[in-house]
Amino acid sequence: MPGIDECLLEAMRLPGARGAALVDWTSGLALGTVGDAPGGDHETTAAEAAELARMAAEHGTFAARGDELPPVEDLIVSNGDSYHLLRFVDTSFDSSVFLHLWLGREEGNLALARIRLGEMAARLVLG
Amino acid sequence: MTVVDTPPPALPVRDKRATRALSPMLTRLAEERATGVLIREHGTLHLAEGRVVHAESPLAPGLDVLLTAHGTLAGAAWRRAAVRTPGPLHAAELLLHSGVLPTGALELCHLDALYDAGYFALAPSSTPGRFRYDNTPRLGPLPSVPVVALERETLRRRLLLHRLWSDPAADSTPLIRADPAGPAGAAPVTPRQRAVLDRVDGVRTATDIARDLGRQAFHTLVDIRRLAAAGHVMPVPPAPAPPPPAHQVTTDPDIALLKRLRDALEAL
Repeated sequence: MPGIDECLLEAMRLPGARGAALVDWTSGLALGTVGDAPGGDHETTAAEAAELARMAAEHGTFAARGDELPPVEDLIVSNGDSYHLLRFVDTSFDSSVFLHLWLGREEGNLALARIRLGEMAARLVLG
Repeated sequence: MTVVDTPPPALPVRDKRATRALSPMLTRLAEERATGVLIREHGTLHLAEGRVVHAESPLAPGLDVLLTAHGTLAGAAWRRAAVRTPGPLHAAELLLHSGVLPTGALELCHLDALYDAGYFALAPSSTPGRFRYDNTPRLGPLPSVPVVALERETLRRRLLLHRLWSDPAADSTPLIRADPAGPAGAAPVTPRQRAVLDRVDGVRTATDIARDLGRQAFHTLVDIRRLAAAGHVMPVPPAPAPPPPAHQVTTDPDIALLKRLRDALEAL
């Protein structure tokens, strides 16, 4: 069963992966990081990504209809040279974490990364 | 349509220049790679070779509460592990070895509980900390955290709360709903805040609400400070103080001096 580090290292094996982190969106704390961060600083990246994730997770506009479903699955931000994929981790205990994957746009495959990151998020907490 | 809204304050980023340690004693213990238990007024830190392996605070729900509150782990399964081990960290390791919980879930919950209790353990205190050298804490299979990382995160969390709502009174006193409720234009109450607000009854404190929800205490403080800023909750007002005597004599010692003295003694 993978731990946090194994999960992040697995995310880094995706084509085009530049960096990955497990971040708490309430506090902005990075609970684990691998690879590079935009601007070179994982802590700043975690705090900024947490802002975005919190807005999406807490505001009803983006939530799925139905109480059984997690409000939001993932967030995608694209820019001229890269993608940011934020995947919420649905835990059975109370938490507010997401996986953040930074992908180079040239080599990255967003559709594949989205599917794989979803699987990794599930395996991380479900075994 | 013009909607003018004040943007929420940004999550603070750790200040790399901040070199002021929260506890000089803790810094020294980390430097000498000490193993043992640091007992402070609001919590304890378990150190192994100078790293924090476990933290506990009466103000934060423990790993057991976080794991059992929502049925992640059966209460009986935790108790079985707890009676066979000297403490919660060892109980968690036993659960890891037995495979009843996924590794990632246990690591995540362990780190959540560590940073949460660590925040309170490192809160400003009115009594000096004590360190007991003890070989029980050890670097095990669950993640440990460098002292400096816990200190920096604790400072960052303090700043975050301060930016949300600068009055810390709501962190520790029983809460009541503000009457009337906040202004109509205030930020809407999110589902997670609603769960907190539903438990505000004039008796419960933030810690009680966190325990009741099986939620990290710091996360609960974030919601309470946001709710306070939006005018939904407030601390129970203190009872009116008795009138001061007519001729008040100032005999108070210099508290600041005493605190500096204590810090200096701790640092020895």
